[in-house]
Amino acid sequence: MFKFFSSTNIFFLIQKLIKFINSIFFLILVIGLTFALILSPPDYLQGEVVRIMYVHVPSAWIGLGCFSLITFLSVLNFIFKIKNFYFINKSMAPIGLLFTCLAIVTGSLWGQPTWGTWWAWDARLTSMLILMMFYIFYILTFKLLNKEELIIKVSSIIAIIGSINLPIIKYSVEWWATLHQPASIKISGSSSIHSEMMLPLMVMLLVFLLYAALIFLMKYKTEIIRIKKKNIKRD
Amino acid sequence: MISDFITMKGHGLYVWLSFSIVFISCTIVYYKTKKTLKKYEQEFLAELQTLTLEEKNKALEKSKVAQQILATSSKTN
Repeated sequence: MFKFFSSTNIFFLIQKLIKFINSIFFLILVIGLTFALILSPPDYLQGEVVRIMYVHVPSAWIGLGCFSLITFLSVLNFIFKIKNFYFINKSMAPIGLLFTCLAIVTGSLWGQPTWGTWWAWDARLTSMLILMMFYIFYILTFKLLNKEELIIKVSSIIAIIGSINLPIIKYSVEWWATLHQPASIKISGSSSIHSEMMLPLMVMLLVFLLYAALIFLMKYKTEIIRIKKKNIKRD
Repeated sequence: MISDFITMKGHGLYVWLSFSIVFISCTIVYYKTKKTLKKYEQEFLAELQTLTLEEKNKALEKSKVAQQILATSSKTN
């Protein structure tokens, strides 16, 4: 079982996955954009500007998801000292930062015609900005610190402290009166979004997930090569 | 009809700008990541070239990753 997770086996699996994603990505992207920009109906209240949702919502979900996963793996790494989790986190953090920034920027572009302002210091927006800052601090530990042990400790602490912000982001729209609308899609309970908008949103989410997976795999492959390069003479 | 699609009833600027920013950022990150990966592959190959023939064969024998990088690079070159 553990032999399967050796860096060599992972390396071959990564190669295959990158090829697979590359082969289907463009087709799913075209389908997603067709649904998002042409086939999905305008909102009865917001009109055409609602189409920003198809890039804003998946970006925010991936930004949050990446940080949740980073925290989970950091805790596991803290307990079990599995070095692989360190490389997974290192490869995943820039993707999370990218999507968090995109969620903030596209949210701002959605806010201007809807709320009449680019930015407001409201609970949801501010907590997303804090998440972005935690991502920056997290990535900076890899850039500024030299000792691997210290990087693992500091980055894990940042991830664990930053995870306090995750439920705040999720429930900010319920706990405080905010400009941001409450969640339309619920895992438990009925969603208030129409299926004609739900389908494009799910296709766009798939596009974003595939892109995130592709970048992650390339970054992770780079990490494996970096380690192998270090150990080439020892091998 | 096309002009309706472009203007999006006055919201075109916000919609197209959002999609463009996402598309451009993702493209830049993709090419930057790919470039870094290629750079490391090249550096790995260069490191392999500095080894003596005996060391090189030993490294290739033991490291399937090295074999794979060498094979991929000979395909692309």
